[in-house]
Amino acid sequence: MKISLANRVEIGLFRHKFLVLMLFVITSAFFLFQATQIRLDASFTKNIPLNHSYMKTYLKHRANFGGANNILISVCDANGDIFNPEFFNALKGVHDKLFFIPGVDRIQVKSLFSPSTRFVEVVEDGFAGGPVIPADFQPTAKGLGVVKGNIEKAGIVGSIVSDDYSCAMVKAALLDINPDTGEKLDTLEIAAQLENDIRQEFERDNISVHIIGFAKMVGDVAQGAKGVVLFFALAIAITAVMVYIFSHSIRLTILPIFCSLVAVVWQMGMLSSLGFGLDPMSILIPFLVFAIGVSHGVQMINSVVKKVATGLTPASAAQASFRALLIPGGVALVSDTVGFLTLLSIDIGIIKELAITASIGVAMIILTNLILLPILLSFTKIKVSAKVGQLSEQSAVWTVMASFASKGPAKVILFFTVILFVVGFYKGQALKIGELHAGAPALHESSRYNQDTFLITDRYAISVDYMSVIIETTPNACTYYDTMATIDRFQWEMENIPGVQSAVSLSSISKLVNAGYNEGNPKWRVIPRNQQTLVQSIARVPSSSGLLNNDCSVMPVILFLEDHKANTIDTVVDAVKTKAQDLGSEQVQFKLASGPVGVMAATNEAVAAAQLPMMLYVYGAVIALCLVSFRSIRATLVVVVPLYVVSTLAQWLMTALDIGLTVSTLPVIALGVGIGVDYGIYILSTMSTKLKEGMDVHDAYLAALKERGSAVLITGLTLAIGVSTWFFSDLKFQVDMGILLTFMFLVNMLAAIIILPALSAFLWPSKSNKR
Amino acid sequence: MRLLIVFAVVCFISLPSVHAQSKAATSATTPATQSVLASKSLLLDISPLGEEKLVAVGQYGHILLSSDGENWQQANVPVQATLTRVFFLNEQLGWAVGHDATILHSQDGGLNWQIQQYLPSLQKPLLDIYFKDAQQGIAVGAYGQVFRTNDGGSSWESEFHQEFLLADDVDYINDLKIEDEQAYLDEIAFILPHFNGLVSHGDNLFLIGETGLLAQSKDFGFTWQKVNGFYQGSFFSLASTGKGDFLVAGLRGHVFRRAQEQTQWHEISTDTTALLNDIVVGKDNGRIFILGNNGVLLVSTDEGKSFTTKIQHDGKTLIAGVWFKGRLIAVSDVGVKVINLSKG
Repeated sequence: MKISLANRVEIGLFRHKFLVLMLFVITSAFFLFQATQIRLDASFTKNIPLNHSYMKTYLKHRANFGGANNILISVCDANGDIFNPEFFNALKGVHDKLFFIPGVDRIQVKSLFSPSTRFVEVVEDGFAGGPVIPADFQPTAKGLGVVKGNIEKAGIVGSIVSDDYSCAMVKAALLDINPDTGEKLDTLEIAAQLENDIRQEFERDNISVHIIGFAKMVGDVAQGAKGVVLFFALAIAITAVMVYIFSHSIRLTILPIFCSLVAVVWQMGMLSSLGFGLDPMSILIPFLVFAIGVSHGVQMINSVVKKVATGLTPASAAQASFRALLIPGGVALVSDTVGFLTLLSIDIGIIKELAITASIGVAMIILTNLILLPILLSFTKIKVSAKVGQLSEQSAVWTVMASFASKGPAKVILFFTVILFVVGFYKGQALKIGELHAGAPALHESSRYNQDTFLITDRYAISVDYMSVIIETTPNACTYYDTMATIDRFQWEMENIPGVQSAVSLSSISKLVNAGYNEGNPKWRVIPRNQQTLVQSIARVPSSSGLLNNDCSVMPVILFLEDHKANTIDTVVDAVKTKAQDLGSEQVQFKLASGPVGVMAATNEAVAAAQLPMMLYVYGAVIALCLVSFRSIRATLVVVVPLYVVSTLAQWLMTALDIGLTVSTLPVIALGVGIGVDYGIYILSTMSTKLKEGMDVHDAYLAALKERGSAVLITGLTLAIGVSTWFFSDLKFQVDMGILLTFMFLVNMLAAIIILPALSAFLWPSKSNKR
Repeated sequence: MRLLIVFAVVCFISLPSVHAQSKAATSATTPATQSVLASKSLLLDISPLGEEKLVAVGQYGHILLSSDGENWQQANVPVQATLTRVFFLNEQLGWAVGHDATILHSQDGGLNWQIQQYLPSLQKPLLDIYFKDAQQGIAVGAYGQVFRTNDGGSSWESEFHQEFLLADDVDYINDLKIEDEQAYLDEIAFILPHFNGLVSHGDNLFLIGETGLLAQSKDFGFTWQKVNGFYQGSFFSLASTGKGDFLVAGLRGHVFRRAQEQTQWHEISTDTTALLNDIVVGKDNGRIFILGNNGVLLVSTDEGKSFTTKIQHDGKTLIAGVWFKGRLIAVSDVGVKVINLSKG
């Protein structure tokens, strides 16, 4: 059935090859136009598991406690003392510039220069106070002295002014809508304005400007992602050299690369047509598509040239190669696609998008490299002298390698494989879920953004790693002692958990204000039992503080953590769950979670939950495809076992390199398995035919090596080179993905030519048993 | 010259209903829990316990014991109320007071504590306690609360010290007492100034508090002689220096000194406006320390005639201190701190 169907397709295609070419040209023109329309797209919600219970809580209360989209600008004096005229002029400049950037919530711009920055002190007859920078401020020694005194009274050291008085902060919140245009705020544009209008303008020798916040981070990530274009060019160049070494023909080098680029264009065009954008994570998919395309293209030219060498015309050689490769190539590509599609089971927008992007791309390769390429090859003049696949003639190499399929060497190979597997499995158990490094995980620790983050968290009493536990209760609950005391108790229990640096809630503010109303006497730092006094203690806390909603039926406890490492998050989340059980009731419910670390906690849980199902699906798909195409359990085993060994070793590598299982590294395992299976399928498709013909394992493997060996080697190298250019990316997660994919591609290739034959030696025992 | 205005005991009133509540509330309290940060979070008082030990009290019913000022262990406490003061009569018998009008008692050197009084419905804190022997004790607190015991704390009687009322209020209160008993009780609950501290010196008992309140009693607090009018703000600490001079400290950096055998209080100038919480007399080196909010530490080497200011770098509020084995050990809003006196 299959053969006849393939035949019919083959005859149809090659009979109407001009028509087919025309179709390709028209489609390419259309998708090329579409591809130019594609936009960079980095939305926050795509990165989070929206259906996770934490994120439902987060989204429910986002309007009240949004606060995630803040900008912090720290202006620092190089000499470590802000009290000089030049610094105050620069600080005022930054404040004013930020104030006038469209999309900045002007009411919430806060710095020493904002009128809302006031000091209050207790005097004998009540309170006295005023703005920290008085209206008649002059940057003279006297004026600066007054400001210094006011700063101390205002209690803003650590928030608006750094602990050591070397920096001062300008804070702002961003709106969702640009008020000038009425459209959704363009985060990337804000990031550019922060960089050009504020940092470039005010940073000089003795004044540095440090900017952090989601908008700035996205801007820096997008900037880093643009470097990808260079890597893409680099990958094409290196791949071209590899293919030329393999083919010794410029024409045969250009064709597979051209067809692979067509696949990339189609993929991008199709994404754009479907309304998707490229974000910094899925921007890597074109690399994969290109590399996979080239690797299949190499199999195709390998086959065509070998057939030409036997005396066929290029046209009939191309047609015969199409026939020979449609099934193994098709199976390999379908299994790649299925590998990618399993990622759809993970409920995180960006991974689903990655799955769609990648599977579209691979599906395009079936068209471009299994159909377009042979048709183009059929027009090509191929010199018989072409030394394609030189290695295939060097039977010495193949003979040595073929011995892997003999029982003696096979025993040694399997022995080491088992040891590697056991060690890898044991070490791989230590694999951590989540981000393992400080700073914004997308960027390198040495990046300006992360350095700025470290500076700000170091010099101020501010942590960017915080998680909010949302307390859902009844309206006006903040006026009841019992509720406030329960929240206070919860906060105290959390502060005692290792990894929690400090915490804040309406309850803890209420205690401080109560002491303030009692002359600043610390003995009154309690939640007032008296309801009127309690109301007084919270009356001045505005809902814009993010500590309560309008009717204070919802209040968060904000936990500032030491870092956002997986261990820390796990400990804190477990503790929150336990205490929520102990202290919670129908009326007072403690719910996880909001804040950046809350989002990470949910993402980590979603990733952890997806790991096993994803592995089951991707292996299930690979096994099913092998069973269908080889109709042999033994063949399926020899393909899948090496794959599994390599997956295990990849986990060991992640542990060794301190790479956590995250939204960006989780897909790599599926991609690695989906693509890694190609090698085994190509080799085994020749082997199993020979074995069915009655050849013993050793000879069958030797035949497979001669026919496909060099192509498999080139394929592995091409794929690895394509992704290894990511090592140099400005983006940390691209580096991690690059390392893992390179490993998966190379080692899967080695496993297919070393472990696969060794296993075969035992699964198809040679009748003579001599080898 | 300021006059000593002498008040007779006009009246003090027992409130027997208080005791019924006390017993009922006891069973409902939640014991304090062992917490890692207990010695590193808000503590409000520290006191010597015999010669070799220290005891500190603070938020969430924390009571901590130490023999070196650095390593602290938590005692078993049956309440989570914030405790404001601790007092040990000897190495075994101690009392602690705090919010919810709590009075706790220990008979085993502070390891285990029992509730003697717990009255959350009063909504008022107790701020100091003093026992002159194992039987007779007096506790004072916000809104002029006074509780007295003659049986080591088994029962506490509330007293209302009308002599601390303003002259106008006395008539008003007396009228109200005749006209409306309930309104009278509501009124007296919050009419008096806060009593911030009790200090015993020889046969004298001093009481300090809000609105410049400073009074002296020779009969263990049944009658008080008010020293009036030299300051309008609150006093938080009073201490006698080694040589019989007195110092009193309060709001906004105010310190006053009364030399031995004199009746006049003189203001000592300080260069701080911080609230001053506690005066500590360094027994073996003649130095006097005053601890204040925002890391303020005043040091005197001349019996309190003058002070120099040393701001602690972290700016944390220093709430109470003791001179212990040659070191100044303080409690703050970040727990116990051993103060390094060589640095500024």
